[in-house]
Amino acid sequence: MTSASPAAPAAKTRLRLVPLLEPRQSVAEGLRIGIYVGSLLLAVLVSVLLLAGAGVPPGDLGREIMTTAFSSPRALGSVLAQTAPLVVAGLATAIAFRANFWNIGLEGQMILGAIFASYVAIHDIGPESARLLLMAVAAALGGMIWVAGPGLLKIRLGVNEVITTLLLNYVAFNLLLHLLYGPWKDPVSAFPHTEQYEAFEKLPQLGWQNLTWALPLSGLLALALWWAYSFSRLGYLVDLMRSNATMARAVGVPVLGLSVASILGSGAVGGLTGFAIAAGIEGRMTQDFFVGYLFSGVLIAFLGRNHPLGVVVVAFFMAVLMLLGQSLQVFFGVPSALVQLIQAVFIICVAASEFFLTYRMHWRSAA
Amino acid sequence: MTNALSLCSVSKSFGGFKALDSVDFSVAPGEVHALLGENGAGKSTLMNIACGLYAPDEGHVELEGRAVTIAGARDAAAKGIGMVHQHFKLVPAFTVLENILLFNPGRAPAEIAREALALADRMGFEIDLDARVGTLGVSEQQRLEILKVLVAGARIIILDEPTAVLGEDDGRALMALVRGLADSGSAVILVTHKLHEALYHSDRITVMRQGRRIAETLPAEMDPGRLTTLIVGEHIVEEPEPSPHVGGARIRLNQVRLAGDGGRKGLVDVSFEVKDGEIYGIAGVSGNGQNELAEVLMGLGLPTGGSIEIAGHGDVTGAGPAHRRQNGLACIPVDRYRHGLAGSIGVADNFAVNGALAGRYGSWLWFNRRKARAEARAAIETFDVQGVRSLGQKAALLSGGNAQKLVIAREFQGAPQVVLAHSPSRGLDVRAGAAVHERLRAARDRGAAVILISEDLDEILLLSDRIGVLAGGRLVAEFKAPANRSEIGAAMVTHD
Repeated sequence: MTSASPAAPAAKTRLRLVPLLEPRQSVAEGLRIGIYVGSLLLAVLVSVLLLAGAGVPPGDLGREIMTTAFSSPRALGSVLAQTAPLVVAGLATAIAFRANFWNIGLEGQMILGAIFASYVAIHDIGPESARLLLMAVAAALGGMIWVAGPGLLKIRLGVNEVITTLLLNYVAFNLLLHLLYGPWKDPVSAFPHTEQYEAFEKLPQLGWQNLTWALPLSGLLALALWWAYSFSRLGYLVDLMRSNATMARAVGVPVLGLSVASILGSGAVGGLTGFAIAAGIEGRMTQDFFVGYLFSGVLIAFLGRNHPLGVVVVAFFMAVLMLLGQSLQVFFGVPSALVQLIQAVFIICVAASEFFLTYRMHWRSAA
Repeated sequence: MTNALSLCSVSKSFGGFKALDSVDFSVAPGEVHALLGENGAGKSTLMNIACGLYAPDEGHVELEGRAVTIAGARDAAAKGIGMVHQHFKLVPAFTVLENILLFNPGRAPAEIAREALALADRMGFEIDLDARVGTLGVSEQQRLEILKVLVAGARIIILDEPTAVLGEDDGRALMALVRGLADSGSAVILVTHKLHEALYHSDRITVMRQGRRIAETLPAEMDPGRLTTLIVGEHIVEEPEPSPHVGGARIRLNQVRLAGDGGRKGLVDVSFEVKDGEIYGIAGVSGNGQNELAEVLMGLGLPTGGSIEIAGHGDVTGAGPAHRRQNGLACIPVDRYRHGLAGSIGVADNFAVNGALAGRYGSWLWFNRRKARAEARAAIETFDVQGVRSLGQKAALLSGGNAQKLVIAREFQGAPQVVLAHSPSRGLDVRAGAAVHERLRAARDRGAAVILISEDLDEILLLSDRIGVLAGGRLVAEFKAPANRSEIGAAMVTHD
């Protein structure tokens, strides 16, 4: 898009304003932030209007947000409990995106992570004291294995990873169904989920509300990645590679190693996302524990600009939105799709705001 | 006669930097008006105002004597202004006709096809409307670009360095086409770096420097020397300077082979050595193994036979870029935006990569940005990289000459023993080219072995202490400076 709207048929009015678009030479940091915040505000406005149209008056909406998220320690606890897996999901996606690997297979990697962790739990592998750690390691391994195929195909043959990672989600889902309706069906209730994990196979409680160690651990992971990307040579080289991989290779940056590490790292954190939900929230592997995290992960990474701390902030608001959606569903009969619609509004607004980073618009009166 | 297009006292600033300072420029129907100037003189900004991409801060645009506001590229096209960009705006997967349609939306394909064929016929070339653009050669693509704007009804045609991407024959053919356009009544603006195009193929010449119009003159009143002086504002003449001291052999290629694939020629048993304190020029007609030789030297392509040794470091035949660079190799690649710089990240970060990999700025877990930025600032000063408004400024925003200086600043950090320079002054104006040459001489004079690959024989003769000629992937001849130009020329077209 390099052109403005065409000049209207020559109406002989004195004051006719035409928009002129100019490519920007550079963008000041303040303006960049201003445009980003502006696009978020627009998204909020559109969302409020959408909800008003669906029968939620703006006043009630405000009250509902307060009740859902901030009115009581209990409400805040639920939001934070939901935040933890979203942080991990966002980080998993951001790690890949930062290395130009469009990993759209988070849900498949989550499923494999949960399957590997459940295997350790069901077969009582290792001593009880080390069981949880073994489950986490297994989950990371499972996620890595699931992303390794698409990574290899991309690096060796240039196969588009969007397609391979996406399709492997369905393979993983069918594998999950096979296990849950077959060998791993709960022997106690005969429902299609695994048996309850033992107490020592679940993430320990923090002792405040129903929060587990998932929250501080996900925070630590975000901090570690923040360090890696902002203050280490590793992160500097990854950003260089993202900007121009051909140049990076020519000047001796270990492009292959950094790509492999990023891809496998993304898969490992994806596997840990599955583990965080299975061992942190559900206490077992269910057949739908992963639903919606793929889209949320992409959204969180995108809105957080692939920045680990940005991911944490966006994940928190995403958790509020998810819980808000549930209560609006119950109290106002709003369809559940509306939550996804609001998420999409945010993506569209932020993505569209890129236009104003590329172009400057000013109005001129036409002669 | 009324001018087709006039830019009247046009000024334009970008964040405090005055790109254009009250510039007047006009072109009449039937005229070819050449616009010359160094990189960054303001030619592109001026033309972007003419075609509606920028709005002037001051001054105005007139079409046939009437003041107008051009609101964007589509409006410019509707007003009869057609821009042929240096980097083509074509969709390779579409056919020729589809590309023309894309630029002329809302008109019937049959009508467009008829008109395109008639116009091509009048301009004296043939074009296959059903061919996929991706399969066309560069000169055919350029003709398509011109055809595209003609079909849109352009009467004012702006060509931005049209021959920069063409070979000599195609360039001559294009100049004939340009004259044809003018003869049929179009007003043509020819933005160019090449003096002879302005001198022999234009009716009027405008020279710009530092955002100002320096001169508007006629070709008959100019010669290459006077034109150069106008463009750069001083008299630049480069003279050959022999090496002060030649030492022992530093890098040795021994029977190096590289298998060719597809249309590539590969390398056949290439052997030569370059000594400390010597510039070894590799001459040859484009496409005779230059790119392959550069890849093999950079470590991007592994030779299929033979060996490469660097004195003091032994055999590096199988080593990748990282290993070679640690052992004193520096590279100025031919495509500085592909192999030299990462455009979307900052100037300082582009500078720091060598030092970072060598551990100058900390371990893998720590990147000392403060130190990297301080060293980048010093190097930018030392190597006279202009146009850096901040160290975080994206490298893509640097002009060609300054981008090249930045590459050199990085590559010459740590005094490399072997320097590979591949067409280092390509696309640069006279002054920037001379500055690059000065750096190469300085590297040689402090004892580095310099390999200069260039398709510009003048550059080779100017700089080299010895010259090897590459033809068909073989090193067919070697000469000592001062060498006979016509003998080298004869060797360049050797057929085995």
